[in-house]
Amino acid sequence: MKENQGNMSYRITDTCSIILCYIILHSSALSGAEPSVFFEKHCLDCHDGKTKEAGLDLTALKLDLSNPGNFSRWVKVHDRIESGEMPPKTEERPPTGDVVAVVKSLKESLVEAEHTRFQRDGRTGLRRLTRAEYENTVRDLFDMPGIALAGELPADGSAHGFDKNSDALDISHVNMAKYIEAADHALDYAIATRPTAPSVQKRRISLVNRGGFVAHVVMNGDGVLLKDKKPDPAFPPAGEHGHIDQGAHERMGSFETGSTVGLFRHEDESFSPYFIEHVTIYPGRYRVRLSLWSFHWDKGEVLPSRGTEAARLSVVQLTGDGRGGQHPSYVFGYYDAPSIESREHELVTWLNHNEIIGFNTASLAPVANYSRKGRAMAFTGPAIAVDWLDIEGPLHDAWPPNAHHVLFDDLPLAEFKTAENPGTRPPVRKHVRQLGAGMNRPDPSPGLWTVHSEQPLVDADRLLAGFLPGAFRRPVQAEVRQQYVARVEERLNAGDCFETAMRWAYRAALCSPDFLYHLEPVGDLDDFALANRISYFLWNTMPDARLTELAATGELRKPDVLGGAVERLLKDERSNRFVHDFLDQWLKLRDIAATDPDRKLYPEFSPYLQDSMVAETRAYFRELLDQDLDASHLVQSDFAMLNEKLAVHYGIPGVSGSQMRRVALPPGCSRGGFLTQAAILKVTANGTTTSPVPRGAFVMERIFGQTPDPPPPDIGSIEPDVRGATTIREQLDKHRSNAICASCHAKLDPPGFALEAFDVIGGFRTRYRSIGDGDPAERGSIDPFIGIEFKLGLPVDPRGELPDGRAFGNIDEFQTLIAADSERLLKNLAEQLAIYSTGRALAFSDRDEIEGIVKRTQQKDGGVRTLIHELTQSQLFRTR
Amino acid sequence: MMILGLIILCSPASSAAEPNRIKHQITGLFSRERVKDLEEVFKQLPEFRLVTVDYDNAEASFEYDPVTVFPGATSEQVVERFDARLKNASRHTFGIKPLRTIEREKLKLIEIPVAGLDCKGCCLGAYEAIYRLNGVEMATASFKERLVTALVEPELIDREALETALRQRGVEVTKPQPENSSPE
Repeated sequence: MKENQGNMSYRITDTCSIILCYIILHSSALSGAEPSVFFEKHCLDCHDGKTKEAGLDLTALKLDLSNPGNFSRWVKVHDRIESGEMPPKTEERPPTGDVVAVVKSLKESLVEAEHTRFQRDGRTGLRRLTRAEYENTVRDLFDMPGIALAGELPADGSAHGFDKNSDALDISHVNMAKYIEAADHALDYAIATRPTAPSVQKRRISLVNRGGFVAHVVMNGDGVLLKDKKPDPAFPPAGEHGHIDQGAHERMGSFETGSTVGLFRHEDESFSPYFIEHVTIYPGRYRVRLSLWSFHWDKGEVLPSRGTEAARLSVVQLTGDGRGGQHPSYVFGYYDAPSIESREHELVTWLNHNEIIGFNTASLAPVANYSRKGRAMAFTGPAIAVDWLDIEGPLHDAWPPNAHHVLFDDLPLAEFKTAENPGTRPPVRKHVRQLGAGMNRPDPSPGLWTVHSEQPLVDADRLLAGFLPGAFRRPVQAEVRQQYVARVEERLNAGDCFETAMRWAYRAALCSPDFLYHLEPVGDLDDFALANRISYFLWNTMPDARLTELAATGELRKPDVLGGAVERLLKDERSNRFVHDFLDQWLKLRDIAATDPDRKLYPEFSPYLQDSMVAETRAYFRELLDQDLDASHLVQSDFAMLNEKLAVHYGIPGVSGSQMRRVALPPGCSRGGFLTQAAILKVTANGTTTSPVPRGAFVMERIFGQTPDPPPPDIGSIEPDVRGATTIREQLDKHRSNAICASCHAKLDPPGFALEAFDVIGGFRTRYRSIGDGDPAERGSIDPFIGIEFKLGLPVDPRGELPDGRAFGNIDEFQTLIAADSERLLKNLAEQLAIYSTGRALAFSDRDEIEGIVKRTQQKDGGVRTLIHELTQSQLFRTR
Repeated sequence: MMILGLIILCSPASSAAEPNRIKHQITGLFSRERVKDLEEVFKQLPEFRLVTVDYDNAEASFEYDPVTVFPGATSEQVVERFDARLKNASRHTFGIKPLRTIEREKLKLIEIPVAGLDCKGCCLGAYEAIYRLNGVEMATASFKERLVTALVEPELIDREALETALRQRGVEVTKPQPENSSPE
């Protein structure tokens, strides 16, 4: 009895404290309802100081909403009550009117507190450019579309799912040091140092280069030389014996006969084919042409191939002694190699200094005849033939190039003669060494040429007046410009030549906050800030001249003009930067290579498949955007974006070639929407096994917009059993018998159970693969040249029940259930796009704006494109 | 004896009986097809005129003026510099050395059947495995005949040493044939 009295006393004290807080902080909220009474009646039984259900003690939770921790906990209380999740279903239900009143009261308090904070701090913190934004901005500012800068900058952090968030974009002395290096690198590339353009060199290159890897493996049977689509009689295929002495063959010119190179071998840890005879000397645009075909090799005979094979072209940056690289810096793309008939492919691309072109027989199985008995003459299998690669460049429409004009306009280039410039230091030129085995050669040195000015300070002022507004993405006041001109004058007085003095100013500008930061006014964005926000949202780069002009004339803020601008940006090829950057983060495509699938369990996995996975997800989002498809398509569709590699992987017939295209899904095919795409299924698995928990968490957070709470401490993780004795579901069932775990897993597990129908590389399955117990596995769509060791283990059970009680029997039924709630899907996408585009987390008070955006999109029967339009028109988007 | 070209000069030494016509031993002439290659190489060396090629003795005669082509060089230096120039022009597949001084009758021809020589590149590899060995005066390698031969001084080198060198280069030596000393 005493104890009870004590409890009562405690309870009364607790209740009083809550009531007191409400009276003090929110007297208006009490007029329509009594939250304190509500809490007392419906909450404190579980959430008082003694019980602390789920760790929540409402009696100790202060109502100081200026404290971020408190604020977020009250938001959670608000959300749980609003959604009906609390009080729990097992308890007495409060009257609806009471719930509405309490929610309204809490909401008003939270909004008010947040507005107070925004008036003080602004909604979006000051944020710098991300690495990608920095690189794209420099590329577009100077018209150097491939200059590589991002890789040299420190990695960006991530907050609220995106690296564009100010919370993630800190800056340190390391960043600054790297920005200086990057600015110097950009200026080195941009400034013309010769009176005429470097001569255009055109070279036809064989893949079987002198001294290359390919020659070595061809000598040992991993490839053959072909003439007229038959084995080259001057270099017979390696049989019982390989060709001996590569050096002797190179000196005899055995690899310079113009023969086609037929390769059976795929890139691997010890084999990386390059076209090594071109090592880029002069950065710039190059035209690359490639002739490819495929064949079936049968112990010395060239026969028609099984279909169209695919080869990969990539760029590899040589480093150090010229041997560096191996893994491609980036992939140009995949190119079709049709049966027997040669097909020519052409692209114009930017190449940086010391970059070479890499090659891979992407669609072939990993085969090595190298030390096998009989080598090529005992091998039967597919092959890709490379007739030649032509490379031509550097290609310049004009000289000096655009980048130079950005810096020096039309000032003439003149030879710098020390005798004619007494007391002036000449410009410094870096000695650039060509690495590797390139056969292209630099032009003879033209001497020391530099930009010439008769009126250095006048020209400096004029040039900076042109450059700074572009670099800073807004008008620049005269006094700011004068600071840069003063720097030029200082350097001229110190004895620098005009180019060097200007370089100081340009470098300072490229390292200044005006360039490195998104400078936006607190409150409503001004015209230029709006132009920047749209441009960095949809192009991930600076605004172009047209957008800047709309900002300058004050037109951009007009809704129809803004809509037109957004539409133009979305139609421009640069919007692919948005598609890539947004999906890389929203759907975690950046993690696609974070795990290497187990080779015994998933022998069919290849880099080509992985690249195709990413390409599918990007192409699918592009299709949603271009066709303005509604939000249900995020999780369900009657089509997919596929190439042959993925179509085979998915078991869909009739798709040939390496290029992505829209494919209608056949009846009974469990694909469609993001969740069934191999890229999503791979980034949510660990390479060896799947677990419904991380996959469920991914769906909750990324698709439904409901970030699950972290697991409680001291709760062990579940380790899937690759030996195949127990299924993950059986293990989870045990886990869920713990009441603490059960509440969260009731939400997490169902999507994960549905996705158990797919393995770690996105293959559909009805049984788990096993490297222990199991039945022999059928090959299915796996390439016949790939060995299979895995077995088929326990059956997959993709059934589940949503938290609201709706049951599903398989992935298709699950998709149908969640697609029906398209408003939730659309709302989440709106939130993700808002976070990405504004660079800040969504505030509690943004919820009404988001709901408005969603509502207006739905009223227009719009999809993803309409949503972007509505977002960019919203106050949320147009406010810092 | 097969002589492809008419030997005009009979002097055993490289010294010029006539000032501009000089005879040297050629390295890299490991098969008859190589005579054509040698002619092609000398198209890049207009300061020399290839007059005749004696494949069986791996010798060739040239017309050039050592004083003009290699000013100030001694006769040994002329051979060295000519060798360097020929090597440069032929990517080190041909070279020059002084004419053989030992009589052919004192040399022994060793024929080694081999497997796995598929092309001219492989033959060069096999040839280079043995031609520089001490005691080897001349060598050939043929993928068509599947045969490597060496004309050797028997006191300095034997078949076993040759076969070892070939094996080390990756050449498979097949059934040994009875040795055939052949004073030509």
